Amino acid sequence: MNIDLSEEALEFGRLAKRALEAAGGDELAQIAEREPDRRESLVGPVLAELGAWQLDPRDSADELEAAAALCRSAGYWAVSYPVAERLCRPSDLDADGLVVVADPAPAAAVGGLDRRWAAVTLDGRRSMATARPMAASPRRSAFVVELDLESVDDAGASDVPLGLVLPCWTLLGMLDRAVELARSYVREREQFGQPLATFQGVQFQLTEAEVERVGLEELAKYALWSIEAGRHEALDDALALRLAAVEAAERVLRVAHQLHGAIGFCDETVLSWVSRQSVPLRRLPLGLSGTRAELTRRLGRRGLTGIFG
Amino acid sequence: MATSDLEEFRAEARRWCQAHIPADWRQTQVGVSDEEDVSFQKAWFQELRKAGYAVPHWPREWGGGMSVAEQIVLYQELAAHDAPRLVLAFVSIHHAASTLLAAGTEEQRRRHLPAILDGEIWVQGFSEPEAGSDLASLRTTARREGDAFVVNGQKLWASGAAHADWCLLLARTDVTAPKRKGISYLLMDMRSPGVDVRPIRNASGEWHFCEIFLNDVVIPASQLVGPENEGWRVAQETLSAERGMTMLELSERLGNAGFRWLVEECSRARPDGLRLLDDALVQDGLAALETEIAGLRLLCRGLVERHEAGTAGPVEASVVKLFYSELLQRMMDFGTEVVGLAAQTSLHKPGSSGWESGAWALDFIGSWEWTIPGGASEIQRTIIAERGLGMPREPEVAR
Ligand SMILES: Cc1cc2nc3c(=O)[nH]c(=O)nc-3n(C[C@H](O)[C@H](O)[C@H](O)COP(=O)(O)OP(=O)(O)OC[C@H]3O[C@@H](n4cnc5c(N)ncnc54)[C@H](O)[C@@H]3O)c2cc1C
Repeated sequence: MNIDLSEEALEFGRLAKRALEAAGGDELAQIAEREPDRRESLVGPVLAELGAWQLDPRDSADELEAAAALCRSAGYWAVSYPVAERLCRPSDLDADGLVVVADPAPAAAVGGLDRRWAAVTLDGRRSMATARPMAASPRRSAFVVELDLESVDDAGASDVPLGLVLPCWTLLGMLDRAVELARSYVREREQFGQPLATFQGVQFQLTEAEVERVGLEELAKYALWSIEAGRHEALDDALALRLAAVEAAERVLRVAHQLHGAIGFCDETVLSWVSRQSVPLRRLPLGLSGTRAELTRRLGRRGLTGIFG
Repeated sequence: MATSDLEEFRAEARRWCQAHIPADWRQTQVGVSDEEDVSFQKAWFQELRKAGYAVPHWPREWGGGMSVAEQIVLYQELAAHDAPRLVLAFVSIHHAASTLLAAGTEEQRRRHLPAILDGEIWVQGFSEPEAGSDLASLRTTARREGDAFVVNGQKLWASGAAHADWCLLLARTDVTAPKRKGISYLLMDMRSPGVDVRPIRNASGEWHFCEIFLNDVVIPASQLVGPENEGWRVAQETLSAERGMTMLELSERLGNAGFRWLVEECSRARPDGLRLLDDALVQDGLAALETEIAGLRLLCRGLVERHEAGTAGPVEASVVKLFYSELLQRMMDFGTEVVGLAAQTSLHKPGSSGWESGAWALDFIGSWEWTIPGGASEIQRTIIAERGLGMPREPEVAR
């Protein structure tokens, strides 16, 4: 068993990262927040040119892995576009994307986009979703809007693992970036006549963030493989990944903020944007305790199967 | 004070709260302009002042005089009745007053303490672009010229400077002395020529941070606090007020407002008929928070009592600051978590609210800031290790 992404998928991810950088990089999120009407035109065409919308992650392992690598690159630039959600679009419904919903008041970060959405609950009930208008500015809402659902069928069980796993790859990309930002910041910023990085108290915090990030990366690969392999535990693995991703995000972002000091809360720093864009991914469809409760309910006393079966 | 007197005081404070706290301030203060926010804050301060509740922690002769037990009762009642917080006057009634009472001249106290009661607003001008954790490396200079100092430099992160009348300013008066030996503590009129304030927007979209540019600002020598070049020592008064004394009110807030709402939120039946409170995980989380809040309140009380008796140790304020800020974060994590989706969609935080505004998503982001100001957690830990536990100092290139 090999859970690593294929070399082609990795190369596609690198290509996407460069293309998004050329299209604006860090500025993509900033422009989208200032001019919400440009949310689609900023990112959509770049990804179309890369061939992103020809990818069908349900079709083959190669395409699934390429989709994951693309999400990670989009996360790295915190692009504020539902890349994972669009990649998950169901083939048999007239929809441009798919979101997993879990609450009596379903919501998703799809505000300001003129797209058709399908939604699926954790138990596989599918609907068509209409996004309500944004109730608050993107700065405040991070483009989260409530959804009105119109029931379709109960055939979505196999959509759920994919719909949970790909957004975790986006979040992973954000954590890649947060660790990178914190690492370079503490090497540059001097206090007490020396770079912050020379304090062991700083190094240890950064190391803890890095350990979280690396652990998440492994789990993300595993949950992806679980989908590829068509394992019937794929949903358990997806929920376990989500739990780990949300936990890792809190720890990594908190360390990154702490090490940036006051400036990390100002929009002059990229970290401020990354952490704001990460909020919907961490909260929706289920936050930490919701995900944990769902996983516990599903697993009972059985435990996860894991790589070694 | 006898328990019965204290209970009588509580009843009185409660009646006052019921009669005076505007019932609808949370609605009316959402999305208000800066000017409206400031005038609401000033009016609320005067309401409290009329009742003798604005500065209960000050000495009696200056308009305060409540015992620690009474202060706690007052803060409990204000929190339980969800009174607006004194956000604007925070630095004036705590940092400025503590500094003046500990190190100011009689004339400085007479000039400013009554003025603070009349609404004079203060800002803390300590941090600089290159002097954050290493505050003593500050570069703003104050050059003595006859009866005045001429100040040049830049201050950063000054919360609320846009509305301030006066500034607690640290500046270097001896550029040749070792870092901590050449700093002086000055009171600066924000309307002086050469003072330029620019707001900075923060991650939750607010503007409370400011930069202050100082260009040949003239400060009369009579506005020096403590001896020239001994400002570092005076600044410790300000910092210990910030780290410790302000926490008495904040910890009662945490217990009687923020935590109480969390419990209420968890007790509410959701659309599916279930209550979060019925979940063992939630019960566990709430019980852990309750225990920690009880501990924090005791710590704060002990600190303030010992401070008044002059017996507080060198690290107590750091312990309180560290514990409060990290507990606040744990509570916000939990709140954001269990309130779940509502946390993501309710993003209206009223002015005049504290870190527990009830808009969990914003409070969550806001709480992350708390382990930074007044000395980041790492600095508090260093103080506790070195001065409390007698550990050797961290090796340093320059201090
Ligand atoms: C909400 C808020 C309000 C503020 N209000 C004011 C105000 O009104 N007036 C004012 O003057 N200032 C104010 N400040 C500034 C505050 O005092 C500084 O942010 C603080 O001293 C840290 O400085 P810095 O941000 O430059 O971080 P840095 O000093 O650059 O440190 C960044 C991080 O590095 C780590 N670090 C630093 N030194 C060490 C060490 N020795 N060992 C281990 N780790 C270390 C810590 O994690 C720290 O958070 C405010 C800050 C915040 C966040």
